[in-house]
Amino acid sequence: MKDNSISKQIEIKNSIDNLSFLWLACFKNEDLIFQYQDGKENRFQLVKDRFEELKYFILYHKENSLYFLVDLQKGNISFMNYEDKDSEEKKNNIRLIYFRRNRIEISGDKQNHTVTYHLGYQYSDLQGNNRKVILEIYQNGSWIINN
Amino acid sequence: MGATFVFSERNGVGEVITDDIANVNMGSVDAAELVPASYPITRGDNSFGKYISGKFTGVWTTISNIKFWKSAGALVAGETIKASANAVYAQPSQVDTGDSDIPTTEGTALSLNSAEGAATIEYGVSGVSGYTGNVRLQTQIAVGASAGATNQKTYTLQYDEI
Repeated sequence: MKDNSISKQIEIKNSIDNLSFLWLACFKNEDLIFQYQDGKENRFQLVKDRFEELKYFILYHKENSLYFLVDLQKGNISFMNYEDKDSEEKKNNIRLIYFRRNRIEISGDKQNHTVTYHLGYQYSDLQGNNRKVILEIYQNGSWIINN
Repeated sequence: MGATFVFSERNGVGEVITDDIANVNMGSVDAAELVPASYPITRGDNSFGKYISGKFTGVWTTISNIKFWKSAGALVAGETIKASANAVYAQPSQVDTGDSDIPTTEGTALSLNSAEGAATIEYGVSGVSGYTGNVRLQTQIAVGASAGATNQKTYTLQYDEI
């Protein structure tokens, strides 16, 4: 049986150093897709192709215990002990938001590449308005909320 | 790991592409990674135009929201930097490109397409080169500018990736 545990995936990822956080997609039928699996990188397209089946989407730090979890059934996002305050609101059509924003600065012969992770969800409220909850997460795990 | 990014430059009549350039130095020659002290820009003249792009390799799904701007480096009196996005390549020269002043904030940044003209760069799609469209840059030095080196500039390219 394959070891798809987070610790195993982190071990694989240790040689790849430009991303602090990796994703893990959990589906309603208990399928798991790790960003790195069996020594190769999975494209996010595999998650996009099954958006309707997505149950949880987790972003975890490869070197420590930090993680962010988006619950696509309830419509909330949690970080360790934090859970967004709107989690009791009735939410419809809950959809994942995830992308990495890359910024490359070139100055003289120096280049600096920074990555921030944008993670959250959007939903329709009872009035039919589209709402978004997005965290901007930095490589060191600090984050800010952007609604 | 996701996509791997490098800056690229195009030069010459044959549009020779140099990937993974070390700098975006401007000067009085059409060459990548030129040494400004060896090719200074004469007062009252322009630098050669410079065609810069990004190149993506590795694994990704979609690259989008590609922006470019000058994020640091004050201009000296009489110095301007012109820029345009998604410029069609033509052999660089010192003729005024006629472009606008380069944006200096993310909010006003140039928006880049793929080299093929699409708003996004999709992985593994036939005909997608992995290059962004060109940013055409040119430094212009007025006759009355002070002699000496200008300030070092910082250029920023930003993109969203899944």
